[in-house]
Amino acid sequence: MNATATAVVSARDVTRRYGEGDAAVDALRGVTLDIVPGQFAAVMGPSGSGKSTLMHILAGLDKPTTGVVEIAGTDITNLSDSRLTLLRRHQVGFIFQFFNLLPMLTAEENILLPLRLAGETVDRTWANEIIDQVGLSDRRKHRPSELSGGQQQRVAIARALASRPAVLFADEPTGNLDSTTSGEILNLLRTMVTTHGQTMVMVTHDANAAAMADRVLFLADGEIVRDQGRSEASEVLAAMAEVSAL
Amino acid sequence: MMQVAIRGLWGRKLRTVLTALSIVLGTAMITGTFILRDQINNAFSDIFHESNKGIDVVLSKKTAFTSDNGTTAGPLPEAVIATAKSADGVDKVEGQIQATGSIVIDGKYVTGSGGAPNLVFSYVTEPFSNSQFISGGPPTDNTVAINQKLANDEHLQTGDRVKLATDTGVVPVTISGVFKLAGVSSIGGATLVVPTFHNAQQWYDRVGKTSVVYLSAQQGVSPAELKQNVEAVVSNDVKVQTGLENADQQTNDVEGATSFLTYILLAFAGAAVFVGLFIIFNTYSITVAQRMREFAMLRTLGASRRQVMRSVLLEAALMGLVASLIGIGFGILLAIGLNALFKAVGVDLPTAALTIPIVWSVLLPLGVGLGAALVASVAPAVKATRVPPIAALREGFTLPRGVLAPYIPYIGIAGAVLGVGVIAFAIRAGGGGSRVLLTMAAGAIIAFLGMSMLSQLLIVPIAGALGAVLEVVLRVSRFLGLIRDRIPVLGPLVRRVAYGLTLGYVWVGIITALVLLSILRGGLSTGSVIGAAVVLAIGGILFSVLWRRRLREWPWDASSPTAGVLARENTSRNPNRTAVTSAALMIGVALIVFVAVFVNGFKESFLGAIDRSITSDMIIQGQSFQTIPAPVVNAAAKVPGVATASGIQFADAKIGNGGIDTVNGVDPTTFSNVYRFDWLKGGSDELLRNLTPDEALIEEQFAKSHDLSPGETFNVTSIDGNKLHLTVHGEYKDPSLMTGFIIPSSTLNTFSPGSKDPQIVLVSFDQGPAGAQAERSIRQALNSFPAAKVQTNAEYKKDAENFVNGLLQFLYVLLAMCLIISLIGIVNTLALSVFERTREIGMLRAVGMTRRQLRRVIRYESTITAIIGGILGIAVGLVFGWIVAQGLSDQGLVFVVPYSQLVGFLIVATLFGILAAILPARRAAKLNVLEALQYE
Repeated sequence: MNATATAVVSARDVTRRYGEGDAAVDALRGVTLDIVPGQFAAVMGPSGSGKSTLMHILAGLDKPTTGVVEIAGTDITNLSDSRLTLLRRHQVGFIFQFFNLLPMLTAEENILLPLRLAGETVDRTWANEIIDQVGLSDRRKHRPSELSGGQQQRVAIARALASRPAVLFADEPTGNLDSTTSGEILNLLRTMVTTHGQTMVMVTHDANAAAMADRVLFLADGEIVRDQGRSEASEVLAAMAEVSAL
Repeated sequence: MMQVAIRGLWGRKLRTVLTALSIVLGTAMITGTFILRDQINNAFSDIFHESNKGIDVVLSKKTAFTSDNGTTAGPLPEAVIATAKSADGVDKVEGQIQATGSIVIDGKYVTGSGGAPNLVFSYVTEPFSNSQFISGGPPTDNTVAINQKLANDEHLQTGDRVKLATDTGVVPVTISGVFKLAGVSSIGGATLVVPTFHNAQQWYDRVGKTSVVYLSAQQGVSPAELKQNVEAVVSNDVKVQTGLENADQQTNDVEGATSFLTYILLAFAGAAVFVGLFIIFNTYSITVAQRMREFAMLRTLGASRRQVMRSVLLEAALMGLVASLIGIGFGILLAIGLNALFKAVGVDLPTAALTIPIVWSVLLPLGVGLGAALVASVAPAVKATRVPPIAALREGFTLPRGVLAPYIPYIGIAGAVLGVGVIAFAIRAGGGGSRVLLTMAAGAIIAFLGMSMLSQLLIVPIAGALGAVLEVVLRVSRFLGLIRDRIPVLGPLVRRVAYGLTLGYVWVGIITALVLLSILRGGLSTGSVIGAAVVLAIGGILFSVLWRRRLREWPWDASSPTAGVLARENTSRNPNRTAVTSAALMIGVALIVFVAVFVNGFKESFLGAIDRSITSDMIIQGQSFQTIPAPVVNAAAKVPGVATASGIQFADAKIGNGGIDTVNGVDPTTFSNVYRFDWLKGGSDELLRNLTPDEALIEEQFAKSHDLSPGETFNVTSIDGNKLHLTVHGEYKDPSLMTGFIIPSSTLNTFSPGSKDPQIVLVSFDQGPAGAQAERSIRQALNSFPAAKVQTNAEYKKDAENFVNGLLQFLYVLLAMCLIISLIGIVNTLALSVFERTREIGMLRAVGMTRRQLRRVIRYESTITAIIGGILGIAVGLVFGWIVAQGLSDQGLVFVVPYSQLVGFLIVATLFGILAAILPARRAAKLNVLEALQYE
C-alpha cells in the first residue's frame, strides 16, 4: 500500500459494467494500477479493450462499478459532483482528440479558461512560459478557426498545463493530426514530462506515440495484460499483435 | 417524406411544443374573440327582437346623422301620439319616456355594474311591454318597478320605500314590483327603473313630450302597411320603423359598440401570432442547421432538393395545423370561461346557446396558424435544400452564407426607415378611422421586421457593453464574497442571510410580481422599491433559518467573471440567432412602451389642459359618464359662497355638407369666470361675453380644417335636423377639452334639444370666509342631485387618472401575452443552443466548470439576450410613440417618457431572462460529462 501513498493516480480492483442483465458489458474486469509522479504512461489496446473507459475512470469523468480510484491522494469514488469538479479543476488536465476549444475565445483565453473558472489570479509568468513552450507566442489573439489542427492541439496542451495539474490525461491526442504534426505534438508532450516532471497518461492507437512514453500498458478485454517500460515503436507493435491475438 | 416529418416532430417533442405554443395562444385568442362576439351580439339581438315582439311600429325623432359620441335627438311632442292614433289600421298606441337616472340608497346613487348605464323607461302596457313581473306589478303614481338584478343587488323588495334621482331632484318612491326583462334579470348589467308615463314626464323634464311611440296594428294589417299609414299622417321629422326594423337597428348599434372590443382583441391576437413567427423561424433555422447531416444523408439516399424542402415545410405545416386545432379548442374554452366570468361580475346576458361561427372562429384561426407556420419556415426550408450530400461525410460542415446574407442588415435598415415613414405618413394623413390604423399597423410590422434584421449589427456591441457591466458586478460580488469569508465571526451569519437572499428563483418570482404590480399601478415608486427591499430582507432571513440544510454546501466557488465573458461570447457567436430571439421580446416591449407613451401622453395633455384651462374650484360630473341634470347648474349657483357655476354641454353636429364635429354650449356671461381661454387672432373673454345666439367661437383645428376666419360664416345641422347659420366671432386654441366650436347654451338647447344637460359643471367660490365654507355647502346642496358627482379639481383629476390607468392595465394585460410568447422563444433558443453545444459543455465540465457555474453561464446568456430585447424594444417603442405624438401634437398630444415605467420594463425583461434560463440551464447541468464529451 505504500505505492499508493506516492502514486499520483492509483486504481485498486476497478471494474466497470455498462448496462444490466443479459445486455451487461464488462468494460473493465479488475484493474489495479499506480502512476507515479513524473511518469509518462501510454495505454494501448485493441478497440473495445476498455482503454478509454480506464482513462475516464482514472480521470474522474466516470465512476467505477466496484473498486477504488485515488487522484493525488483523494479517494474519488464517493465524491459529490461539485467536489469531483473542483478536483478535476485543480488536479487533472485533459487533452482531447478533437481539441475541444471554445470557438469564440482566443487562444490565450482558451488557455487561461480553467484558471479563470477557478476564479484564481492568473500567474502571468507561468502563463507566458507555457505559451512560449507550446510555441504560440505569436498566436495568442487568434481564434481556433484561424489556427491549424496542430496549433489548436498546442492550445489544448497549454490549457491542460495552465493549472499545473497533478496528472494530465491525453485521449488520442494525435488521432486527428497528420504524421508530421503528430510528431511535433508528441515531442512537446515528452518535453513537458522531461522538463517539468509532468505526470501524464495517454490513450493511443499509435505505436509511435506509445514509444514516447516511459511505460506502456496493454489492455485486452478489460484487463491489463501487459505492462512494460520504455519501448521502441517496433516492440510496441509486436506487443500489440500479441495482445490482439489473445 | 410524410413519415420523416411526423417522426421529426415526435423526436423533438419539447421543441415542437414550445414552438407550437405561440400559435396555440394566438389562435385561441382569435377563436375566443369571435365566439364571444357572436355570443354577445346574438344575446342582444335576442333581447331586442324579444322586446319588440308586440310592437308593430315605433315612432322616434328622425336623426340627421349617426353620432359616435352618444348625442341623441330630442323627444317628440306628446301630440304625436294622438296624430298616430288617427292613422288607418292602428289598434293601440302608447308613448314611452326614456331617460337616465337611478335609485338612491342612503344618499348613494346606485350605478350599473361594469360601467353599464342607469336607465329610466316609463311603463308600457300589453302588447308593448316586454317585462315579466316576478313580484308585485306595474307602477302607479309615485311608484316604480325595478329590474330583478337591481332588486337583488340592493336587497330591494316590492313595497320598499326608496328614493329616485330625477332631473328635478330626489323623489321618494315605493317599489311596485320586480321584473325580468325579455327573460333576463338585467341587460348587460344596466339598471332599469320603470315609473308611469306621467311621472316620467314630470321627473325627467319631458312634460308634453314623449321619447318614442309604440303602435300595434289591427287584425289583418301588416306592420309594413301600418308603417305606411302612419308615415302619411305624422310630420316628416318623425322616424317611422317597424318593430323588426327597430330591433335590427338596436342590434346594429350594439354590434357597432362591441366591434371596437373585437378589433382590439384581434389586434392583440395578431401581435401574438407575429411574435410567434419569429420563434418559429428561429426554431426551424437552428433545427435545420443541426440536422444538416440528416438532410445530407437523405440526399445521398436519393432525395431531391424539393423533397428535402417539402419535408421541412410539411413538418412545420403539421405543427401549425395541430397547434391551431388545439388553439381553437382553447379558444372555445376561453369563450365559455369569459362568459362565466361576465356572469360572475354581473354582466348578465341571456344564455344564448354557444354557437361557433365556423368561418371566423375555426377556418380563420386554422388559416392563420397554418399560414404562420409555413411563412416562418420557408426560409429555413430553402436553407435545408442547400445542404450538399457531401455534408453527410464531413465533420463540422458549415453551409456557405446565402447570397443575400451580407445585405440583410442593410435591408433591415431600409425596412425600419420605411416602416417608421409609413407610420408617420399614416398619422399625417390623419382623420382617424380603420384605414389609418391599418396603415400604421403595416408600418409597424415593416419596422419590426427591419429592426430584427438590422439588430444583428447591434447584438455584438450591446452584448459587449452588457458583458462589461456584468463583469464589474461579478468582480464586485467576488470581492464581497472574499471579505465575507475572511471575517470569522460575521461569516456564518452573513453567509446564512446571503444564502437566503441568493435563493434564486423564489426571489426572482417575488420581485417580478412586485415590479409588475407597481407598473400596473402607474410606475415604480420609492415605496415599491423600499417594499421590495424589505420583503427581500425578511425573506432572506426567514429562508436562511428554515433551509439550514442547504448551507452545508458553503462556501460556493467564487462567482467568476469568466462566466460573464462566456455568456457574452455565447450571445455574440451567432448574432442572427440572438437577434431573432431578442426581436420577439423587442416587439412585445415596444408595443407596451408605445402604449405607455401614448396613454401617458394623452393623460398628461388632458390633465395639463385641466390645469391650464379650468380656473374653477370644483368640478361636477355625472355618474357613470352620464350627463348632469340641467337644474344642477342653478342649484349650485345659489349655494352661499359660490361665485359662479357654469356648465358645458357637448353635442355632435354636422358641419356644412359633411364632417361631424363637436358643438360646445356654454353660458357666455359666466363661463369666462371659470375657464381660461387661449385666445387667438385678437380673441378675448370680452368676445365670449358678447357672444350672440348666431355667433360661434371656433377652435384652431376646426378653423384649419374648415378654412374659417373670424367674420366668416358656416352652416351646421344638429342630430334633430335643425340648422344654424353661424358667424365666426373669434378663435381660440384648446385641442383637448373644447374641440370644435362654442355657441351659447341657449342656442344649443333649441338646436340640439337632446343635449340640453351639461356634461361638466364648473364651480368657483367667493373670496373670503363664505368661499371656504362653500365646498361643504355645495356637497350638501347637491344631495338632491345624486346623479351629479361633486369633486375638487384634484379629485376630478385623480378620477381621470384612475380611468386612464385602468385602460393601461387592460392593455398591459393583453400585451403580456406577447411577452410570454417571447419568453417561450428564449427558452426554446437556449434549449436548442445547449443541445448544439453539448460537447463544448462536456469539455467545460471536464476542465473544471461546476454545475453551478454552467447554470450561471446559461442564465447570464439568457439575461443578456432578454435585456437586448428590452433595450431595443424600449428604443423602438419610444420612436413609435414620438412619431405619433409629433403627428398628433396639434391635437394636444404631448410626448411623455414614462421613465419609472421604462425602468420597470427593463427589470421585467431582465427577470424574464433569468426565468427563461431555468429549464435550459437545468438541462445543461444534468448532462453527463462523459456522454457529452463523446456526443457528435
